[in-house]
Amino acid sequence: MFCRNQTARATVARGSALEMEIRRGKFRKSVFLDTSQDSDIQKKIDHEIRMRDGACKLLAACSQKDQALEAAKSLQTCSTRIMAYMSELQRMKEAQVMQKVTRRSSDAGPMDDRLPCKGKVAISDLRIPLMWKDTEYFKNKGELHRCAVFCLLQLGEEIFDTDMVIVDRTLTDICFDNTIVFSEASPGFELRVELYSCCSEDDYSAGSTPRKLASKLSSSLGRSAGKKLRAAMEPGPCSPVSNGGGAPLLLPVPSVPGPKYHLLAHTTLSLSHVQDSFRTHDLIISGNEECSYWLPLYGSMCCRLAAQPHCMTQQMMSGCLKVKQQCGGDPQSWTKVHAVLKGTSLFCYYRQEDVEANVEPAFTIGINKETRIRASEKDPLSKVQNICISNHYGGEEVTHTVTTDGREETHRWMEAFWQHFYDMSQWKQCCDDLMKIELPSPRKPAPITPKQGSLYHEMVIESSDDLSSTVSDILARRMQELELRSQLGTSPTWMSAFEESTARCTGRSRHCTRMSGHSPCTPHRLPRSPVSPHRCPQLGLLSSDASLTSDSDSHCSTSPCSHHHGWPEPTSSYSLLSSSPSRLRPRTLSLDAKLSTLRGRGYGGGGTFQCSCQPPPSSLLAPLPISSCSPRSQHSTQTTLSCSSSTSSNSSSNSEGSHSPESSEGGPFSRPSPARRSLRNLRARLDPRNWLQSQV
Amino acid sequence: MSFVPGQPVTAVVERVEIQKLRQGENLILGFSIGGGIDQDPGQNPFSEDKSDKGIYVTRISPKGPADLAGLKIGDKIMQVNGWDMTMVTHDQARKKLTKKREDVVRLLVTRKSLEEAVKQSKGCYHKP
Repeated sequence: MFCRNQTARATVARGSALEMEIRRGKFRKSVFLDTSQDSDIQKKIDHEIRMRDGACKLLAACSQKDQALEAAKSLQTCSTRIMAYMSELQRMKEAQVMQKVTRRSSDAGPMDDRLPCKGKVAISDLRIPLMWKDTEYFKNKGELHRCAVFCLLQLGEEIFDTDMVIVDRTLTDICFDNTIVFSEASPGFELRVELYSCCSEDDYSAGSTPRKLASKLSSSLGRSAGKKLRAAMEPGPCSPVSNGGGAPLLLPVPSVPGPKYHLLAHTTLSLSHVQDSFRTHDLIISGNEECSYWLPLYGSMCCRLAAQPHCMTQQMMSGCLKVKQQCGGDPQSWTKVHAVLKGTSLFCYYRQEDVEANVEPAFTIGINKETRIRASEKDPLSKVQNICISNHYGGEEVTHTVTTDGREETHRWMEAFWQHFYDMSQWKQCCDDLMKIELPSPRKPAPITPKQGSLYHEMVIESSDDLSSTVSDILARRMQELELRSQLGTSPTWMSAFEESTARCTGRSRHCTRMSGHSPCTPHRLPRSPVSPHRCPQLGLLSSDASLTSDSDSHCSTSPCSHHHGWPEPTSSYSLLSSSPSRLRPRTLSLDAKLSTLRGRGYGGGGTFQCSCQPPPSSLLAPLPISSCSPRSQHSTQTTLSCSSSTSSNSSSNSEGSHSPESSEGGPFSRPSPARRSLRNLRARLDPRNWLQSQV
Repeated sequence: MSFVPGQPVTAVVERVEIQKLRQGENLILGFSIGGGIDQDPGQNPFSEDKSDKGIYVTRISPKGPADLAGLKIGDKIMQVNGWDMTMVTHDQARKKLTKKREDVVRLLVTRKSLEEAVKQSKGCYHKP
């Protein structure tokens, strides 16, 4: 009943013990063996379902066209993959059932039905020519009809998509630069290439509702529509997530408003199309001119389809052999070699280490389609069969005789040779020579173009506890620094901080004594009344501004520094920023760069600081009328430095006439009141990003 | 200063008359405003009531016309030249302040200190 060599289904007698066992699923071994593959596929399906859900959500959420197109493309790919995996799962389950019945017959290894080795198949440089009407192409008449296209390539279970390309009538060909490599292909592979396209102009919602209305409508769905959409979005109860045993249900593709791709053309490639150069293949076009996704295809597709069977790239067999010297004549002179069967040759190395060392083999015996291998009669001495390998080189027949250590070895080698020949016969032209497959290199990220615009754009702020104050702090400090620089004329002490490597930011603020070669701080300071710690934050902060957000010294950027005393009270009337509690701030290298360029620009002669925010230097030195200010606790001191960035609440824009920081303190300086400190906090929170402010 | 829907708003206000200053071809007042019914009132650092969507003065340019007229930062603008400012969008407020044909704006502004001042003047007998 159970035949070793037959895979036909055996009949099982009704009511027999075997049948009962089958029914009860008692073939535990087979169950385990098969469900490991099952769960693999199941995992893949689950993964793809999650990807698809993500794509649906993205599609529903995104507003930009190219985002929507990309999301729709991934949706299409995921759906196709799910279909493929599901059908694979079906097949496997069917095979499982059949196998359970014919278990014993399939115990015999695959050697009886020899299976060819698998290989890599790569398709690259896809090019699909288009055939526009000459009026369209040359004269640019009519509307520019644009379509987004991509290719879906399927080989067995592997499905890949190319990048999306926007096509309009200015293009003559659709080119896809991707190289797609399928790793496990059998010689009888069928590579299905499908071209999907989607019109890139229409409104994505059904019908032609204007976009604004459509977005308004979509955000306020009716109950039933919303329910449907939600059901479609979330994996409903019909998802086969934990559906190990039952038949997998085919999930309906959720209908999400958005661009939808349609199949425009397809073709199937197989082994006969494999060649080491470009070839043209015909496309089967679906759709007609009336469709929105139509593109005038020429009808063919060029690509390079290459295949690398494993027998060409991997070592099929290796071991020790003894090769009879040809010219020796003496049957005893056998050369011991380590032989490797790979590709079209049997490489013989003197030592096994040579293989890894990439040393040239001692000699090479060609193994190709023309080679004949046979086992000769037993050697009377060693009782082992010899293997004769005959090749035709030129007109001559050259025979190498090799032998092994034992019968099993010989048998294994013969087996390997047979398998190799079989592979070569199956892979046909791929085994003539090794075809090159370029692995797609990891894409370099698009170069980040330096953003134009204000400093604000360049900053990266990582501490998120008080974002607005962070930003305003940083900016205000920077502005003061600029202001101070121009104010003082000579490069202030902390300039050295910038001249020092900006990479270091350790407590520069506190150690002005360390700063080299600059006009001493003290003369500036002494005439002025001592400034309380709260006044000096600017300086301390400024010196660390080089790195803006000093990594190690949080205090140096935030808390007042007690060393910088004596910054003049009237002139030190920059707006007092909130001293946020010490926290570590990350470096912002772009800000460094910006600062250093600004520094370079401005510091030639000292004094005037050339920057877009150019406060007139002179006005800053004048003592400011203080009397105009009434109760100081209520008032703000504002630095009216204009700066290109508009984010700081403390900056006024350039249209302001005179820029002079005003002091809120009357008369002798005293400790800032808590009210002022809170005011500082207040001002720091006036971040226009969060709360719009207009100047009138 | 908080707004209770359905109830009339009462406030102690100060009249501030600002002469616009000509700067080139602009007439400026010298202050900045924030707020509006289309803005997020929670971001307003000056308001007592964080649901107050009124127009507030966020910045005064020193020595500018507003400063000279006595406008203070944190003031809530109730009216501009007779136009109500308690229930306007940010842009509407800005427009009412920057009319090119007018070179003076008369504001009614309110601030907490005004209330306090009135309270104090009325009921100083119970203060120590």
